[in-house]
Amino acid sequence: MRGTICISVAGLAAGLFAFFLSGLFSPVATAVPAFARKTGLACSGCHEVWPRLNDFGQLFRDRGYRIGRDRDKPVDQDPSYWPIAMRTTVGYQWLRQTLVPTDAGPVTTQTGTFGFTGLDVFAVGTLGDNLSFLITYAPGLTGSGFQIAPTNLDSDLESAFIGFHDIAGTPFLNVRVGKHAPDLPIDEHRTITLTQGYNVYHFHPQGSSVAWEPGENQPGIELYGHSDLSRFRYSFSLVNEKGSELFSNNVISNPVVWGHLTGERLLDNGVLAAVKAGVFGSVGWHPAAALMLIPSGGGAPVAVQGTGSALKEHFRYGGEVHLRFLSVVNPLTLSGVVLGGSESRQLIAGAAQDARFLGGFVEGVWTINPRLSLIGRYEQIQTTQQGDPKAPKAAGDLRVWTAAIRHTFELTSRTEAALQLELSRVGTDAGDGTTPETFTGLIAFDFTM
Amino acid sequence: MTLWKTIILLSPSIPVALAFAQTPDPGPNEAGRGATVSVDATPTQRKTEKSPNPPRPIDHSRAERGKAVYQRFCISCHGEQGDGHGYSAQWLDPRPRDFTRAIFKCRSTPSGTLPVDADLLRTLNEGLYHTNMPSWAVLGERQLRDVIETIKTFSPRWKEEGPGDPIATTPEPADDPTSRSRGKGVWNVLACFNCHGQTGKGDGPSVPTLFDDWGFHLTPFDFTSSPHRKCGNTDKDLYRTFLTGLDGTPMPSYGESV
Repeated sequence: MRGTICISVAGLAAGLFAFFLSGLFSPVATAVPAFARKTGLACSGCHEVWPRLNDFGQLFRDRGYRIGRDRDKPVDQDPSYWPIAMRTTVGYQWLRQTLVPTDAGPVTTQTGTFGFTGLDVFAVGTLGDNLSFLITYAPGLTGSGFQIAPTNLDSDLESAFIGFHDIAGTPFLNVRVGKHAPDLPIDEHRTITLTQGYNVYHFHPQGSSVAWEPGENQPGIELYGHSDLSRFRYSFSLVNEKGSELFSNNVISNPVVWGHLTGERLLDNGVLAAVKAGVFGSVGWHPAAALMLIPSGGGAPVAVQGTGSALKEHFRYGGEVHLRFLSVVNPLTLSGVVLGGSESRQLIAGAAQDARFLGGFVEGVWTINPRLSLIGRYEQIQTTQQGDPKAPKAAGDLRVWTAAIRHTFELTSRTEAALQLELSRVGTDAGDGTTPETFTGLIAFDFTM
Repeated sequence: MTLWKTIILLSPSIPVALAFAQTPDPGPNEAGRGATVSVDATPTQRKTEKSPNPPRPIDHSRAERGKAVYQRFCISCHGEQGDGHGYSAQWLDPRPRDFTRAIFKCRSTPSGTLPVDADLLRTLNEGLYHTNMPSWAVLGERQLRDVIETIKTFSPRWKEEGPGDPIATTPEPADDPTSRSRGKGVWNVLACFNCHGQTGKGDGPSVPTLFDDWGFHLTPFDFTSSPHRKCGNTDKDLYRTFLTGLDGTPMPSYGESV
C-alpha cells in the first residue's frame, strides 16, 4: 500500500514537472479577455505574465484603455463586444501554523482544503473618445478562502471610476474620479503571487487607529500623467481614508494625499535592458477626538460620525528600483522597494510617542517565456519605534518569503488559464520572544474569461 | 490638411499625367482605376522596369531574438507562420498582413519592390490608423529591429531580392488658391473620385469592385472622417503614398508618371 502511494506521488510529481516543462517550449501567448477581444491582441501583448503588466500594457492603461489608432470608441466596436471579464482561482491549499494557542498550550495546526479564492467581475473599457471606466465587482462569498478564514464576506465594488484623458490635449493631464488603486511601486492587484500580497502596503504600527493602506483601493480623485511612452509617470491621489471607523468634520473627511513619481530608461542591451526608479509617499490626517453618544439602549459610548476633530498626521514614504535583465520582452526583473511610515502618537492606543516602521521587499520575476514564470520574494517589516515605549520593540514585525511557479497553459484572445504552484512563509514577531509562523502551499488554477 | 491641399502636392505633374492618361494598363487591381478617365498615368503597381536590387543578408542573430518579440506581440494576428492567419485574424478588418508574400503597403520604395528597414520600422513605431495594428514604439528600437529581421524570414523574397531604392521627395509647393486649383485638376485627371468619391468620403462608384491581393473587399479611405492616414499624416507621407502606391491594394503608384 505504502509503495502504491509512493508511486502515485512520484507519478503526480513527474506529471506536474512535465506540465511545467511543457511551458518552456510553448511558442504561443495571449490573455486579458475583454481587452483582447476588443483589440485582437494576445494577453501577452499587455502582460509580461498575466496579470502583471508590461510596458505596452502600462501605456495602454495610462492612456485610458486606448490603443490610439482611431478604433477605441465604443461605437467603433463590433456590436457583440461587451467589456466584461471574470477571474477566479480554484485548487488546493495546505496551511500549517505554529504556536497556535489552545487550552493545552501552543500547538501546530495543519489543514488541507479544496476551494476557491473568490470572484472578480470586471467591466472595463472606454465610454467615449477620451473617457474610460473600470468597475470591479467582488461578490461576498462565504465559501471563499479555501474554506479557512473567508476573506471576502461582503460584496463590494473593489473599483469604480471614470477616467478623463489627455485633458488639454496632453497625456500629462488625466483624471480618474471614483474608487481607484493608488499608483504603487508594484501593483498589488496585478501581483502574480496568490498566497501573499505585499504586506508593507498594509502595515500599521501596533495599536494604530489609522485605516489608510496604499494597497487598498481608495475612493477619491487621481490626477496623473505620463510621457508619450510612459517612461515618465506621475500620480497624485486625494482620497478619503477608506475603512476608517471615525470620519472627521471636514469638507474632505480623513483626507490622504498619495504621490508617486517614476522614471524609466531603456538601455537596449542584452544584459541590462531597462532601469526604472521612483519615489512615493503619502500624508494623511485622522481625527484623534470626537463627540460620543451612549446608545439609548445602553452600552459603550460610540463616536458620532462627522464630529471627528483634532486631526493628526500619518505618513508613508519610500523609493523603488527595478532592473530588467536580458530583455524587455521576456525579462528577469529584480525589484527593490523600501517603504517607511510614521503615525502620530495620538492615533495609537496607549502611545506616548509617535510610532515608526521601516519595511520593504526584494522580488525577482523571471519570465522565461509568456507561458512560464518563476517568482521569488522576500519581505521584511520592522517597527523602529513603538508608540508605547514599554512595548516590545519587535512586536508585530514581519518576515515573509514567497516562491512560485506559474505556467499559463491556455492563451487566446478569449481566455487565459494558468497553473500555479506556490509556497509562502510568514513569521510574525509576537513580542514575547516567539515568532508564530504560517506556511501556505497552493496548487491552483487561475483563470479568466 | 485639407483634401485639396494634399492633392496639390502632385499638381506640378498634371501635364505629365495628361500625357499618360490614355495609356491602358490592365493589372491585378484594375477595378480600382478610373472608369471615365483612366489613371494609367500611374499604374506601376508591382511592375518595375528596373531589375531588383541584390538581396541583403538577413541578420539571423537579430531574427532569432526577434522571435520572442514576434511570439509575444504579433502571433495572435499575423500567425505563427507569418501568413496573417493568427487566431484573431478572422475578426479583424482589415486583415493582418501576410508576411509570406512580402507585400507591404507603406513603403518609401517603388511599387512592387521590397521596403527598406526604415519603412518597416516606421510602421512598427507609428502603428497603422484604422486598423488593429498599434504603435509598438514602447518596446524600443532594438526589439523592433529584431522583429523586422524575423519578419523577413517568413518570405523567400527577402533572400532573392533587396529593398527598392527609396524615392526622392520634391519640395512642397506653396499652399495657395492656385495650387489648390491645380490639385483639383489632378484629382479629376487621375479620377481619384472613382474610388474615393466626389467629396472624398470613400464612396466612389468603383467601391464594390475593390479587393486586395488576398481577395478581401476594401473600402477606400474616407478623407473626411479622420486626419489620420495609414501610412503617415504629414504632407511628405501622403506624397510618398501617391508615388509608391499601397501594394496589395487597388491604390496604384503614380511614381512612374509623376
